Amino acid sequence: MTCDEARLLIGADPGAATPALEEHLATCAACARFRDEMRCLDADIRRALERPPDIARPRPGRQPLPWRQWALAASVVLATLAVLAVWLLRPSDTLAREVVAHVQGEPDSWLATQHVSAQGITQALHGAGVALEVTSDKIMYAQSCWFRGHYVPHLVIETARGPATVLILRHEQVRARRAFHEAGMTGVIVPAEHGSIAVLTRGAGDLDDIAGQMQHDVHWLADAH
Amino acid sequence: MRNSEPGSPVSSISGRLPAADADAPITRLFESMRPDLLRFAQWLARDRAIAEDIVQEALLRAWRSRDALKDPSAARPWLLTIVRREHARLYERKRLELVSLDEVVETQASSAFSEPGGELFALRHAIMRLPIEYREPLVLQVLGGFSTEEIARELALSATAVLTRLFRARNKLRVICGLTAAPDLAPRENLP
Repeated sequence: MTCDEARLLIGADPGAATPALEEHLATCAACARFRDEMRCLDADIRRALERPPDIARPRPGRQPLPWRQWALAASVVLATLAVLAVWLLRPSDTLAREVVAHVQGEPDSWLATQHVSAQGITQALHGAGVALEVTSDKIMYAQSCWFRGHYVPHLVIETARGPATVLILRHEQVRARRAFHEAGMTGVIVPAEHGSIAVLTRGAGDLDDIAGQMQHDVHWLADAH
Repeated sequence: MRNSEPGSPVSSISGRLPAADADAPITRLFESMRPDLLRFAQWLARDRAIAEDIVQEALLRAWRSRDALKDPSAARPWLLTIVRREHARLYERKRLELVSLDEVVETQASSAFSEPGGELFALRHAIMRLPIEYREPLVLQVLGGFSTEEIARELALSATAVLTRLFRARNKLRVICGLTAAPDLAPRENLP
């Protein structure tokens, strides 16, 4: 008996013990080992087959009524929209949360009633590597704030729909516009030529208009660190 | 609707087995084998409801042919053969839709046999997934105790073809159990 013949017989019937097979196994350690493996496997197969496969095939049930299907579809759509709205308005990441937290930490910034002087604006921009084209009579608050390891300009700008806070984040890159809503503030962070710009309002300010205007008015200086 | 006859194993389900029936010993013999037959049928059909139908029909056939069973000690292989043929007949007759095992769930209570991650779960699942050409001779051999020659006779195959199918069936299961597949030494046969 050859090894191939022995293995075919063992694979088909691990319990087989013909004289020819036994004679072969006495001189072939590899085939003997194969039989040991197959006998172990067969013991498992036997155990596996001991209990019937108590399986259930899904039975065709009553077809749902058309209105139920539509109601189900509408529920799914509404749930999806709700999740999408929450997702779009959530602080989309750590950066958004930290921006909100920073603005919350300076509540007086919203209350300023005096325009910031040109010198005040210059001080706020100092070290941030940016210049502004915004006329000073629109800026009600300007500070250079420590944020994520850098000084960033924190401005509050007067708009027709109330004050809007702007943080110019030279060192924070975002790949796309991110909107968020938290702690009574609505905001966006938009990508800019260098870094990004965050705009927040407490009411219904048009964030994207303000952000677009700031993208236009902020000049990124080449020699900033 | 299934036929039933008074005193048959089928009617005994509904408790109508006559107590002093002359055929009571054979009825009891058949009934005692019902769990074995059902398990066998379930491994073939992979569906409990279908398996129950098969066993019911097979027992009815066996009851009608009970005079052909000369030796009660041969009842088990005789009944298993009837079950197998009934399974084959049912599929031929009804062209039952194939069971997609992706749509099938094992409904048994948790145990090493059925619980995902249980030691035999993967093996049981792999056996269920074996094509009928491989599963049938394996079940006949391991559960039914049939020899290669008996399986060959029953399936109208050559002994070599049966050896081939059994070898390939176990080879597929070897892989599931983490063993390397043995080289396919079996003669060519056009099977999956």
